[in-house]
Amino acid sequence: MLNFLGKRAIASGISFIGLVLLVFFLSRLTGDPTSLYLPLDASDEIKNQFREIHGLNDPLLVQFVNYMGDLIRLDFGDSIRRSEPAIDIVLRGFGWTLQLAAITLSLVVFFSITLGSLAAFHVGGAFDRIATFFSLVGASAPDFWVAIVAIVVFSVTLGWVPTSGTGSFAHWILPVAVLFIRPFGLIVQIVRGSMITALSSAYVKTARAKGIRNRPIIFVHALRNALLPVITVIGDQAAALLNGAVVIETIFGFPGVGKLMIDSILQRDFAVVMAAIIVTALAIFLMNLVIDILYSILDPRIRY
Amino acid sequence: MTRKMHLFMATALASTVAFSAQAQDNSVTIVLSEELEFVEPCMATKSNVGRVLFQNISETVTELDPTTGLQPRLAESWEDMGGGTWRFNLRQGVTFSDGTAMDAEDIAHSLVRVKSPDIACEIGAKVFGGIEITSNIIDANTIDVTADPAQPILPMLMSLVTVTPQDTPLDSFVDQPIGTGPYTFDEYERGQFITLTANPNYWGDQPTVQSATYVFRADSAVRAAMIAAGEADIAPSVALQDATDPEMDFSYPNSETMFLSIEHAQPPLNDRRVREALNLAVDREAFIGTVLANGTLLATGMTPPSTIGYNADLEPYPYDPDRARELLEEARADGVPVDAEITLLGRTNNFGNVLETMEALLAMYEDVGFNMNLEMVEVAEWLERYAKPRPEDRGPTLIQALHDNANGDPVFSMYFKYHSDGQTSGLAYPEIDAMIEEATIATGDERTAKWSELFAYLHEDIIADVMLFHMVGFSRVNERLDFTPTIRTNSELQLSQIQFK
Repeated sequence: MLNFLGKRAIASGISFIGLVLLVFFLSRLTGDPTSLYLPLDASDEIKNQFREIHGLNDPLLVQFVNYMGDLIRLDFGDSIRRSEPAIDIVLRGFGWTLQLAAITLSLVVFFSITLGSLAAFHVGGAFDRIATFFSLVGASAPDFWVAIVAIVVFSVTLGWVPTSGTGSFAHWILPVAVLFIRPFGLIVQIVRGSMITALSSAYVKTARAKGIRNRPIIFVHALRNALLPVITVIGDQAAALLNGAVVIETIFGFPGVGKLMIDSILQRDFAVVMAAIIVTALAIFLMNLVIDILYSILDPRIRY
Repeated sequence: MTRKMHLFMATALASTVAFSAQAQDNSVTIVLSEELEFVEPCMATKSNVGRVLFQNISETVTELDPTTGLQPRLAESWEDMGGGTWRFNLRQGVTFSDGTAMDAEDIAHSLVRVKSPDIACEIGAKVFGGIEITSNIIDANTIDVTADPAQPILPMLMSLVTVTPQDTPLDSFVDQPIGTGPYTFDEYERGQFITLTANPNYWGDQPTVQSATYVFRADSAVRAAMIAAGEADIAPSVALQDATDPEMDFSYPNSETMFLSIEHAQPPLNDRRVREALNLAVDREAFIGTVLANGTLLATGMTPPSTIGYNADLEPYPYDPDRARELLEEARADGVPVDAEITLLGRTNNFGNVLETMEALLAMYEDVGFNMNLEMVEVAEWLERYAKPRPEDRGPTLIQALHDNANGDPVFSMYFKYHSDGQTSGLAYPEIDAMIEEATIATGDERTAKWSELFAYLHEDIIADVMLFHMVGFSRVNERLDFTPTIRTNSELQLSQIQFK
């Protein structure tokens, strides 16, 4: 296992350097941020001062070498837009994103595995119909539409929950609920399909022949084998959530890293773009590692 | 229902009630469309910063009122001393929110700071670009300010300079602004809210609103929903399609003018007949009440009717596609390359329905025979193509732009838009340069007349641009407030002007 972790760390390190290189130069291709931050009628002298302050007058290679030198010292540079360390801004946003992702994903995993398993056990039954209905709704309803409708119904009309923002438990209800729908719809179908295959396996028939009750058959024998593809999909969904739920963050005024990243790209706030991508890349690397370890726990045949 | 479920419901209900309680009593919640990048007074000409800081935290020496004109604020009076120097007599007994007294040293420091090369302030660049500003302190309450070249409207320019204490750093932005205004800056929880509370030591009358919370929601529908749900009191900017409740929604001239900028050096746009055809081909009235809001005005000049020198005698170009076709034929017969492809360049998300507006313009131009191609680009690319130096291979281009002038004088617009050296000018006419320079240094009625004459020359003689609309904005205001948005709401929101019904 340690050998495997070491290999993964080296591979990820190489990918990480490639990512930094790519993002640094690609983001600079978008152009000079000076005109975005100064009034249209600012004089050339002021524009030049601005570039000097933010190190934009140096040749690109010099900027890159300086950036890498700072990065080694964990100095991610300052945001042009907000005049504060980029990493502080990103970690603040990432904290919110991490909470939102963790809560949503926990609910998705619990409900999709439970409902998907029960649906597979009685194909065509009540659970199956409910699972199919919700998965279709989840797959077809656009986030922004669901979010706006939810605000109009539950906040403006019924007054049950706040429209948006943060600050209390109630503020989490709508963003989590809206964010829940799509991955739930996807994963419940994966669980269902995978469980149908598992439940028709010989070892399940053997278990039934031995008189084992349904619950252990579903949740102990079949589910463990059915979970491998499910975990792969959960990993994908988790990576998407860690990158930030831009639509949800925009509509619900949620200060996560997704909207921050988009805004920073549009505003050519290079330091924040770089810091956000590095932090999310590290998080996704760690998450993939956890998934690999989970594989080996669920299926003892997998050895690293 | 289980005990756990009861607990869950109670917690949810308590949280909601606690949240709703924010928007009660003498406090207000204001929902802005974007988070503030800075809380720096010298960036207060940026609309989102200005709506929080301008005249709430940071006051100015003079104040421009949309109805009564230039008014005293931190200065009680001012006089022209000649030679580009103006003397400002400051109000006595004014203190900053940190308890220190405001005097002439603070004004002098603020003028140096807005032009500090180490922080590249928006106010310095916007108000004093190309102008040297020096000050001479006569006594604690009197200061002479000199502009080189002389600025007859220096008192008006001072209505944009936010005053900060003399120990405010020259090389970095502040994150806890200190001002003389009726409010003090309490807290900025990044990404979430800003709070202000009334300044008990304010030199003027105590405001009715005792505290304000600013929150940020990018989506217009959500901002409107927050007012409807009672979670917020003012959304200074909502989209046309969300302004559906006449009890809460107000339209106001937002001081922005939409036009198509023409670079006259590029054939076929260098031909006056082609520029006239571009104006005659547009059915301006058709946009109003459809893709643009009712109340939108047809424009004949770059600045809104509230600016001095606005020429009310000018008529918008009528919709006359037949005449436009004739003009193009005449130009073609004279060898003008009227069939050359013209790029119609629009800026995405510039205002509500910008894409629909640009597509309609394109259809109207194609209808009269222009060979036109619509390009919608993000703000960064748009800026690179709009401001000088422009790309070498740009070709003939009509650039859609919005220009904001809520400051009451065309000087803030005309040099940059129409002088040969103007950063976004598509013109190079010596007579226009001279007219701008003369109007800039004129005063009183002469100034008004010169600006008026220039507007007419640009609109009728040169046909400088395709002037389209003076836009309106929409605000949603909670019915418990007695507050009516004005042209200034686009750039500031004075909490002290808000009353409760």
